[in-house]
Amino acid sequence: MEASAIVFYLGPLAITSVVVTTWGIVLVLGVFCWLVTQRLSIDPGPLQTMLEGVVTAMEESIEALLPGRSRQLLPFIATLWIYIVIANLVGLIPQLHSPTANLSVTAGLALLVFLSVHWFGIRSAGIRGYFKHYLRPTPLLLPFHLISEVTRTIALAVRLFGNIMSLELVALLVLLVAGLLVPVPLLMLHVVEALVQAYIFGMLALIYIAGAMQSRQNYKGNNP
Amino acid sequence: MEFDWTTFILEIINFLILVWILKRFLYQPVLDVIDKRRAGIEKTLADAQHTEAEANRVKQQNEQQLADWEEEKKSAQTQLMAELATIRESKMAALEASISEEAGRRRVLDERRQREYERRVEERGVEQGAEFSTKLLSRLASPELEAKLFVVLLEDLRQLQSEDINALKEVAIVAGLKINVQSVFPLDKNKQNMLSSALAEVIGRKVPVEYSINPELISGYQVDIGPWVLHANLRDELKFFRSVMQHAQ
Repeated sequence: MEASAIVFYLGPLAITSVVVTTWGIVLVLGVFCWLVTQRLSIDPGPLQTMLEGVVTAMEESIEALLPGRSRQLLPFIATLWIYIVIANLVGLIPQLHSPTANLSVTAGLALLVFLSVHWFGIRSAGIRGYFKHYLRPTPLLLPFHLISEVTRTIALAVRLFGNIMSLELVALLVLLVAGLLVPVPLLMLHVVEALVQAYIFGMLALIYIAGAMQSRQNYKGNNP
Repeated sequence: MEFDWTTFILEIINFLILVWILKRFLYQPVLDVIDKRRAGIEKTLADAQHTEAEANRVKQQNEQQLADWEEEKKSAQTQLMAELATIRESKMAALEASISEEAGRRRVLDERRQREYERRVEERGVEQGAEFSTKLLSRLASPELEAKLFVVLLEDLRQLQSEDINALKEVAIVAGLKINVQSVFPLDKNKQNMLSSALAEVIGRKVPVEYSINPELISGYQVDIGPWVLHANLRDELKFFRSVMQHAQ
């Protein structure tokens, strides 16, 4: 996979095609949502029904894992799902590449997940209460906790990057070797894989955050 | 697989911006609409529950009212039936009394009619008997029978009571008194003399006697002495017999 091409420079910053694609996604999503939500009504049309279905499904998924916290986590987790799905599927458009096939993008997302875990954990249990859970059940496990935090974040980034990059690479290789229409089934697999990887990334982020938010409660439950 | 820090940082910023955009233009409006709809549905449900509760209350009230009405109806029916039974009994008693009274009246009327009928039949029988006797005696009338009745007349004159004789004597005092003797057959001289002698003996003096024929007597004699009338004939005997029979009824 070749490096992302630099499209232009913004001062000292080199703006790559990945960033431009991401801007495009942000712009399209923003405009689409703004247009759609201008005419929301109590009696929904087909498009509003679809939107409500999507939002409600995501909210219920969060609610199932963290009862009573779905409204707090919905913006972050749902945006992860929506952005990663679209970013994964953008690669199906000719001349465009999935931003999630770039390690810098997935690493940025993974870093955001890493930070949000601590952010929501601290908001939920307080600084002392949250960081105490690294010393439980015994301070000897602190290094393992720290290694686990780092490795799971790296795994989160690399898993998404590896899957999407490999899909595009395989499709490119098949296209080069077999011809024009042969990669079509592979592209359908790409759709499925895009949805699955987005779901896995968002769900793992949700699980990590849930673990952080419930750490204090778990210890309270185990040590009354 | 190279790592670009600029892309890394810009992607973080882009994602945070996207989070804000979606929160502002997607999640919040959609959730607001959903909440509003849920609130509307809950309000509708609450209204429906309130309406249902109200309907149940009204239904129970209506059922209670119907039960009360039913009870009242049964009570009224029972009272009505009792009143009807009382009225029926009184009407039946009045009817029976009326029927009994009417039957008694009819019985009395029938008995009266029966008695009247019997009386008429008896009168008719007496009349017919008298007519029959009159016809029979008219056929049996003869000088011999009249001669026998002459003997009876003389015996009757001799057997008059003293009070009757005194009364006759007082009547005979009247001047110009004539004794009228009626008979069916003419009396011969001998019988006229015998009768005049018998009359003079009773009255106590000689009084002129006139003799006349009267066929209505059937047989026998009628002697008129002033207001006194001595009967020794079948006609008057039959009249006497008829009046006795009628009185006997």
